[in-house]
Amino acid sequence: MKHIFSTMLIFSVLFSKELEIGSSMPLMDHQLSDISGKSLSLKDIKGKEGTLVIFSCNTCPWVIRWEDRYVTIADAYASKGIGIIAVNSNEDRFDGDDSMDEMIQHAKENGYNFPYAQDPGSKLAYAFGATKTPHIYLFDNDDKLVYRGAIDDNAKSAKKVEQTYLANAIDALLAGEDISKKTSKALGCSIKFK
Amino acid sequence: MRNSFLQLFLSIFIFFPGCSKVDLAVSDSKGILEYVSSLKGEKAVLLNVWATWCVPCVEEFPMIVELGKEIEDLDVVFISADFEEQTDAVHSFLKKKSVAGISFMKEEKDETFINGLHPEWSGLLPFTILYGKNSGKIVDFWEGKETETKFRESIKLAITR
Repeated sequence: MKHIFSTMLIFSVLFSKELEIGSSMPLMDHQLSDISGKSLSLKDIKGKEGTLVIFSCNTCPWVIRWEDRYVTIADAYASKGIGIIAVNSNEDRFDGDDSMDEMIQHAKENGYNFPYAQDPGSKLAYAFGATKTPHIYLFDNDDKLVYRGAIDDNAKSAKKVEQTYLANAIDALLAGEDISKKTSKALGCSIKFK
Repeated sequence: MRNSFLQLFLSIFIFFPGCSKVDLAVSDSKGILEYVSSLKGEKAVLLNVWATWCVPCVEEFPMIVELGKEIEDLDVVFISADFEEQTDAVHSFLKKKSVAGISFMKEEKDETFINGLHPEWSGLLPFTILYGKNSGKIVDFWEGKETETKFRESIKLAITR
């Protein structure tokens, strides 16, 4: 019976639809466990002009190569009214590589300047239809999804980026303009659901 | 046709002296699909995108290697999505797992590579596509780890198409 439920869960994850552009931010009251020791929700994070949710973790090679840009994005846009959070939904590793202690250490080592929180039950990941890390969701000030996908087109090197997808999307959002590229794709690590 | 592609790849690929049993080619999605097309009419093709650090990829990897050895009408093509600095690790892994024939390493921007292989692929690893033996067309595809039963069913279908 357990096997059947596990199989059903895997299928529900694999075939859960990813949040469509224009969708409302789901589970805004879901309580997350931040590295600060506080409990917070997306409602708490929500910025005046928009909200950026980054599904992330401690060990994925793509996260490790891209996360310097989490920091520069936060540096550039938090003061302009964009609320930012990195969410760790790898519940299967909360006792290991993605434990709270490891997350605190990881955030410190990489100069995180935004909340980094565990997602109990991976509920946000399920609600967003998120399956991998890193993966970005940008919402406008009406909590509607306006961009999802990658940060830019070069995980390996910030210097070699040609298309700054996320920064372009935030700039357009702040300027009240249409976002020309609303979705993008990148390789990534699977979220480790329990 | 197939030999000409092999010659082309061997002329441009990274080669590892003293490791002649593992042919690791650096290519974009177009080059990989050209290689897959060259097998049309000869064999069904199972294309699997993986990475050395990807746990579910590594877990299903030996089973796929065995299916490739067991099923005569099937050609298994592995594509590593590791970064180029992991080339040695990829090569060692392939050798350790006794992977015969040509394997690839991705050399392309993520989005172009993902959409080039299949527009419905999100980028999640592992990713598998089955191409029909006679049609050369996609018979099945999925992202994430799968069971041996699922692999066998899809391979059987690919061989008949």
